[in-house]
Amino acid sequence: MSELVNGVMHLDRGHEDFIAEIRGLGGTELLECIQCAKCASVCPMALAGFPFYNKRVIQAVLSGAREVLLDDASIWACQSCNRCTEICPRRVNPYEVVLAMRRVAVREFAVPALTTDGLKSLYDYGHAVYLRESGASRRKVGLPETPPTVLADPAALAEVRAVLRRTALRDIGIIPMDGADKGGGV
Amino acid sequence: MKVGFFVGCNTAFNRPDLEAAVRRVMPGVGIELDDLAGQSCCPTWATMPSIDTDGWCAVSARNLCLAEEKGLDLVTVCGSCYGSLSETRHRMAEDHGLKDRVNEILAAAGRTYRGTAAVFQAVYLLHRELGPDGIARAVHMRLNGLTVAVQPGCHSLWPSEIYPLGEADPFHPVVLREMCEALGAAAPSYSRLTDCCGMGGMRSTDMEKSFALAAVKLRSMREEIRPDLIVTGCSSCLIQLDTCQGPLQQKGVIDFEIPVLHYMQLLALCLGAAPEEVTGLARTDVGKIVGRIRRDVNA
Repeated sequence: MSELVNGVMHLDRGHEDFIAEIRGLGGTELLECIQCAKCASVCPMALAGFPFYNKRVIQAVLSGAREVLLDDASIWACQSCNRCTEICPRRVNPYEVVLAMRRVAVREFAVPALTTDGLKSLYDYGHAVYLRESGASRRKVGLPETPPTVLADPAALAEVRAVLRRTALRDIGIIPMDGADKGGGV
Repeated sequence: MKVGFFVGCNTAFNRPDLEAAVRRVMPGVGIELDDLAGQSCCPTWATMPSIDTDGWCAVSARNLCLAEEKGLDLVTVCGSCYGSLSETRHRMAEDHGLKDRVNEILAAAGRTYRGTAAVFQAVYLLHRELGPDGIARAVHMRLNGLTVAVQPGCHSLWPSEIYPLGEADPFHPVVLREMCEALGAAAPSYSRLTDCCGMGGMRSTDMEKSFALAAVKLRSMREEIRPDLIVTGCSSCLIQLDTCQGPLQQKGVIDFEIPVLHYMQLLALCLGAAPEEVTGLARTDVGKIVGRIRRDVNA
């Protein structure tokens, strides 16, 4: 498969590095893609009019268009819906390539606020989505102000933080991770 | 039956009326809930999955551990939680190296992931445990004469191989339709039934495109089946379809409003729950539907 890709795409060394980068970050089946576009036919991003949906992200990766992908927000609009995973006749898992491209972008600090805010909230509160004013609406519907999650359990939050500090998130450094707790981390 | 309730961020903080509905419905049909105290974000797509697979699986596995340590399975009403927990569970089952690396990370939390807990989406769990007939027998109030448009939600359907309970054909789902029909409603198909609602990363990245996608779906429902109500299987679909219609009307993109409820809210109403507790945070006007359901029982 790689010979065919070499033959068609005339990959130079730089393209091969980018392909290796994507495969190393989860897009392992990238080179199985034959650009048949079945994935595009079911993709909400394609329907909504984003320039780079599954098939075109793969095409851009195979073409070495790393900077183009880093400059475009499309990959962050992927719904992770896995229609493409389901339908791909070559089992490329196009969604994994989109995720891998996000991981490339994160390592280049080309990250939307959605991600940095979500990660910071995950580290600080244990919830990527946390609405401070939610206590009032919870009371309104007869529930305790705080749900029985990490929010109500400092030891559990310390666990989550300790786990997060052992992940690649720590090395990448896109959010501050030296919280007040001292429990369990490396 | 006892099962761990994985509530998820959006349900707990954005639509706690849905959380209240779950807490009302499950015991009402004989399923006891455990809080899985100390659970965190699942986590979904724009956060840890966009960092790397090991870290994503580690945060998810800690949540799965809370259930398996109690010998319980998990149930959720959020498609994103269901998708993330199911995907990570599947990956760790297929790749033992991954599972080992996750357990090295989890040592920081003093936990070990084994992979013994299953993850269920609430509608599918009820479909298995009670089935449409059992649901029909359980409710006191019915939806006779109402037409609903169902919105199952992407993460209940694809990739089908990772979900323990699913559809014979995930591109033509029938379970949510059957479960609505069990309540007495008509739940016909429409051409955009499996279209994405546009929530999630798409809404955060480009709200205009996200709402335009939802509008295509809403128009398809309206023109083809003229529903009295939209019924979702997913909390994200609930939030998107409930909150997009106001702005779409203001912009003149649509000239109608269809009330939106999650299936668990609808079921809670049919079990006699207080409407303000299980639907009290809806932006669309669900009052007429609530009145219709409760009037039928009074008649």
